[in-house]
Amino acid sequence: MKYVVHLEECDSQLAEVVGGKAIGLGRLLQHGLRVPPGFAVTVHAYREFVAATGIDREIRRLLSGSATVEAQSEASTLIRRLFTMQPSHALLAEELKQALVSLGDSTPVAVRSSAISEDANEASFAGEHDTYLWVRGADSILAHVLSCWGSLFTPQALAYFDHVDIVPEDAAMAVVVQTMVPAEAAGVMMTLDPVNGDPSQVTIEGSYGLGLAVVGGEVTPDRFFVDKVTRDIRSRAISTKPVAYRFVEELGEVALTDVPAEDQSQPCLSSREVAELADLGVRVEAALGGAQDIEWAIGPPAPGDDAGRDVFLLQARQETVWSRKPRPPLADPETSIMDRIVANMRMPMRLKAAPAESP
Amino acid sequence: MGVPDEEVLEMAAIQTSERRFPSPFDVATPLGAEGWEHMYPYYLLFSEDNREWEEQALWFQDGIHHPEVLLPFDTITHEAWRTALGQFNTRIFAVPPAYGIEQRILNGYLYITPVPVSSEERIAERLPIFMRRAGHYYQNWDRLFDNWKRKMTELITDLEAVSVPTLDDFDDEEVVTEGRGVSRGWRLVEAYDRSIENMFMAWQYHMEMLNIGYAAYLNLFQFCKQAFPGIRDDLVAQMVAAGTDLLFFRPDDELKKLATLALDLGIAGAIRQDAKPEDIVATLRTDPKAKPWTDALDEVWHPWFYFSNGSGFYHHHRSWVDDLTVPWSALNGYIDRLEKGESLARPSGEVIARRDRLVAEYRGLLPTAEDRQTFDQNIALARTVAPYIEDHNFYVEHWHHTVFWNKIREFGDRLVEAGFLGDREEMFYLNRWELGQAIADAVASWATGGPTRGGPYWRREVAARKQIIDSLRQWSPQPALGPVPDEISEPFTVMLWGITTDRVQTWLASDAVDAAQDQISGVAASPGVAEGTARVILAPSDLAEVQQGEILVCPITAPSWCPVFGKIRAAVSDIGGMMSHAAIVSREYGLPAVVGTGNATKRIKTGDRLRVDGDTGLVTILSLEA
Repeated sequence: MKYVVHLEECDSQLAEVVGGKAIGLGRLLQHGLRVPPGFAVTVHAYREFVAATGIDREIRRLLSGSATVEAQSEASTLIRRLFTMQPSHALLAEELKQALVSLGDSTPVAVRSSAISEDANEASFAGEHDTYLWVRGADSILAHVLSCWGSLFTPQALAYFDHVDIVPEDAAMAVVVQTMVPAEAAGVMMTLDPVNGDPSQVTIEGSYGLGLAVVGGEVTPDRFFVDKVTRDIRSRAISTKPVAYRFVEELGEVALTDVPAEDQSQPCLSSREVAELADLGVRVEAALGGAQDIEWAIGPPAPGDDAGRDVFLLQARQETVWSRKPRPPLADPETSIMDRIVANMRMPMRLKAAPAESP
Repeated sequence: MGVPDEEVLEMAAIQTSERRFPSPFDVATPLGAEGWEHMYPYYLLFSEDNREWEEQALWFQDGIHHPEVLLPFDTITHEAWRTALGQFNTRIFAVPPAYGIEQRILNGYLYITPVPVSSEERIAERLPIFMRRAGHYYQNWDRLFDNWKRKMTELITDLEAVSVPTLDDFDDEEVVTEGRGVSRGWRLVEAYDRSIENMFMAWQYHMEMLNIGYAAYLNLFQFCKQAFPGIRDDLVAQMVAAGTDLLFFRPDDELKKLATLALDLGIAGAIRQDAKPEDIVATLRTDPKAKPWTDALDEVWHPWFYFSNGSGFYHHHRSWVDDLTVPWSALNGYIDRLEKGESLARPSGEVIARRDRLVAEYRGLLPTAEDRQTFDQNIALARTVAPYIEDHNFYVEHWHHTVFWNKIREFGDRLVEAGFLGDREEMFYLNRWELGQAIADAVASWATGGPTRGGPYWRREVAARKQIIDSLRQWSPQPALGPVPDEISEPFTVMLWGITTDRVQTWLASDAVDAAQDQISGVAASPGVAEGTARVILAPSDLAEVQQGEILVCPITAPSWCPVFGKIRAAVSDIGGMMSHAAIVSREYGLPAVVGTGNATKRIKTGDRLRVDGDTGLVTILSLEA
């Protein structure tokens, strides 16, 4: 297949073809980690599509001379409309249908961007392109792939292109199509303490329903702080979580729903799930190298499965704040242990960690 | 990702820092305890002479070492450590930021405050001296510790050799035939002085390597806290202390061997009889079948039964050699468990494996090669000093003090014989100076043939003091006195007494909040969660009451409480830090422990259902005693 690559096959050699997100998911799969099944729509599909439809020329025309924010915003709207007005791409449609066979024809999927850029691994594009959840059926999926392509030209993305000197018409995007996890709880996890950089901690934030509420900051998530070595929970902060994003059958889409009152202040994860997540975090870090920023979701238990709810990884990317900070050695290697003993005796000591500088 | 907990704590600290504990000068004398001051040396009392200095300091009740009302003689142990700790910090090693620990007695309880080195110039002046002198000890630690053990053993031998002569009507013939020229009376005075001096010498040695040893621990703690801000203190402790072959497990291990031997010889039934352990042993000595067992007991008796049931700091902390109740109960427990086919082995292999895994994995998380090198050095030094830190208690507080408290009682016998006291135990109502005076009085009147004053004087005084002590025991000491500083930073106070800014805030808060709350917080000292029935033990003599599967709740624990850790499900103490014995032993036994709760023994009753969370340091009273 030319336009579609299964996630299992997305390795770093295909970085320029399937984009950062797909590579990240591919690597998780190659390390035996549980990722919802799916595939990437390659950048070739994008390029052929814009060439065949003449969208590429239109983009160039619309963007030339649109230097102001207002002009860029207008251009963005027009460009994105181009992607939704085009007839579908016959060959891509065919490949998509084939790929969908393995996922199940009517299985709901998420359609997300997978950026091709040297920064792609570092999340610089995070939130700048669109994500579509609970998309069903080949026609709808194809339409959403096109919309996703269009979101390459959101005003934020255009501003970012300017910022990093990328010529927009050279930009291209791959798209990941992945089975939806009907999440009972979801969130993010970092394989360090984002407040003080503590590398011995996995920090988990989660709430009910899909991860949108956590990522979008719409609820204060439960927080779990886990020791990476012992896997003990160092501490936890359970918050009140009044709302959750869930797929609402009557609406046919994902919507913000109320959480039953009695559940709002309950932890969204069991201690076992916290431990399982932390364990996954450590494995991802070992597999990918360096601190990781991970999105996860917990689906309902598989029918007839007593082993509990299934934990899925939705995304893993390099943590960017602490990983980029220069980390000078804690002690000057030139000093003797006596120097350090004296310095430590003079340092006010509290059994609780002192407040660290924020990243 | 949200507001860090520390910020909240900081805010709480700011809000409460204006608060203070009562001034020592405002604390009332309990009813019936009037005149208590006269029992103690003048230099241990708060006074108008030093009021300004005494009022600016924050004083802690030393609940770790001296939680009980001090009978006058028992001040000897803290006086001994006051001088010894102070001189090593202040004059010998010149610890740059820390002088010694000052002491005062208030209403019979010991309060302490660290003396800071306040000027930067003075700290700078002390620095090179410390580097040179402490450095010498670190470099030669093993040799110096071997030397220490020799000195300590010799000191104990000297003390055992002190003879306490009776004041007989006529002195020995040999005084004449050998031309000694010295009387029994004078030898009694000399014996007293030698015994007191020997006690102070023991504490000189005790402090010789202790604080610099703790400085090495502190160095590792601080490094780990910097590298891994969220790491739990007990994990750092586990990387160093757990699993080493500690002397304070040895007496317990000897009991296990005796239990095994008793079963092998078929004498378990005889041991289990419902009789005084001492009588059972006497009977066993007449039974040829039991001879290998009594031989084995005699073999390990010295020094492993010179093991205090308490901390050894008080005269009434008796040892196994004085009273076999505690070891006997443990012995029977071990026999029961062996009969059920259980193993008595401590999981020390697992503990060592865990220690090594922790070291390797945390090390692997360090970002640079330099950090790993620093970590390795810090671990190595902490492990170098660990045997001293863990074992010195056995030599001093257990072995030496067992000998001391028994030796010193012989002087009580002389005073009973002289008619000064009704009972040898009454000697402890005299402080060490007064006891010296009483002996001088007895000896002088024995010499002159004239009347003593000591008889009526001390009998009257002891009777009055018994009432005073009873009144003082009814009083609940404040955990602290004086103003609350912004930060508790003196390193040894934190390390040895577990006193931190947070702890002080908790004490302040617990004054204010409703004590009916069902949660008690302390230091999470050993991980895990357990539920069970509480057994509140206030004195080591009650240890035999502890039943299998209960949760021990106590003011402090001492190393000799080890056998009970094989029975309990979790431990809770009023006082103690990460490195307190309860913490170390609980980690060794894999039991959850919460220490330093401040008032668990007052809020929990035997029979209450508890949940002890050694991960969070929270003790929850699930239901009250039925």
